Amino acid sequence: MNEEFEPRIVAFLCRWCAYAGADLAGVSRLEYPPNVTPILVPCSGRVDPQFILLAFKNGADGVFIGGCHTPNDCHYIAGNFKALKRYALLKKYLEQIGINPRRLRLEWISATEGAKFARVMKEFTEELKKLGPLRVR
Amino acid sequence: MKAKVAIVCGAACGGCDVAIINLHEKFLELAEKIEIVFWHTATDFKLEDLEKLEKVDIGIFIGSIRTREHLELAKILREKSKYLVAFGSCACFGGLFGLGNVATKHELLRTAYLKTPSTENPKEKIPGQKVIVNESKDISLPELTDWNLPLNKVVNVDFYVQGCPPIADSINRFYEIVKSYVEKGAMPERGIAIIGAKTLCDICPRKKPEKIVIKKFKRVHEGPIDNELCFLAQGIICLGPITVAACDAACIKANMPCRGCLGPPPDILDRAAKFISTIASLVEIDRERELSDEELVKIVQEIVDPLGTFHRFTFASGIFDKKQEDVEK
Repeated sequence: MNEEFEPRIVAFLCRWCAYAGADLAGVSRLEYPPNVTPILVPCSGRVDPQFILLAFKNGADGVFIGGCHTPNDCHYIAGNFKALKRYALLKKYLEQIGINPRRLRLEWISATEGAKFARVMKEFTEELKKLGPLRVR
Repeated sequence: MKAKVAIVCGAACGGCDVAIINLHEKFLELAEKIEIVFWHTATDFKLEDLEKLEKVDIGIFIGSIRTREHLELAKILREKSKYLVAFGSCACFGGLFGLGNVATKHELLRTAYLKTPSTENPKEKIPGQKVIVNESKDISLPELTDWNLPLNKVVNVDFYVQGCPPIADSINRFYEIVKSYVEKGAMPERGIAIIGAKTLCDICPRKKPEKIVIKKFKRVHEGPIDNELCFLAQGIICLGPITVAACDAACIKANMPCRGCLGPPPDILDRAAKFISTIASLVEIDRERELSDEELVKIVQEIVDPLGTFHRFTFASGIFDKKQEDVEK
């Protein structure tokens, strides 16, 4: 039997934009892959890079961060900028420790962008299927 | 009754041994309280001698675990000693040698013994192999372990004395503990840090602006350094915010930024990740809105080597403590 690899995605979604966007995708009955496990955070700026490393270590094949659009949407004024800058540096670090940086993805998704959330999840799942499972040694 | 002490070396540079003697006159005082029954560096002891030892009160392990012999030494020492102390940053977190975990042992050995330009090794001999000197003697060097490991990944550790090397003050505190053990038989609770949990920034004498803003990253050799202003405010990476203070800010006072040899405060799981969080948020913090996302990313990615800079002494004890093999198909 040839079972297709189903990646596990941990998605940190901000309470004000991305999570509401995911909700909208749900109530609009938009289809997207079931591989994603959403985690509600107050702000994308609350996502400590340690959470991301722990997710990878404990079996996630991909980690997604969803926040409010820059420059003006963040409920806490500038949390999304912090997330962006950390994400940029963490990608570099992931490459150094031998994890493909494409396994980490950040997108700005507003509360009205249910369609974008569904599209991004489809894309990300497809990409991770191509990358294969993350084996931690 | 004197306390029996055994001092054992793993992968170490010898600096920690020197640091013990750095107690100066206090060392003589210490020598009245303890009897050193085993010390690689001071006298010619071998693994067999450690096996023959009876129980000791305090075992001090210096250095990380890099060869099978170190592994054996650590296990024997744990068995023999009532209290085991990880002494120095290599034993506590893997130390500088931990950076070797960015490559497998085969890659390391090939680079060191075959590939470097100054190497002449026509028979391609690599340590860990048997060498037959004459028919009767076959000599072999201990094999490398797969990865560099801090002591606590191999055996249970009771106390940690951090530092590269630990400075006289921390050794002094350790000495006080030994003294109270010899005089009253009392030891503090196992697992507590000998040094405090304050960060270096807490005790740093430099001027800190209200808001630290990094415009551009600067390395130490690039241009003059203000010797009164916070390093981070000058764009120079300083590991003060994630390093415990037990060094009296010695490097800072010599106008050098902190490299983090004392290790992180206890609640940090992964130092590099935590520092990525800290340093990235400081970049252009007052102009975030005026710059585009791409421009911000570009400035942040100017940092040349996040792993080697943020995890210089602690890579072997991070969340990911070795290089992963996640190559694209």
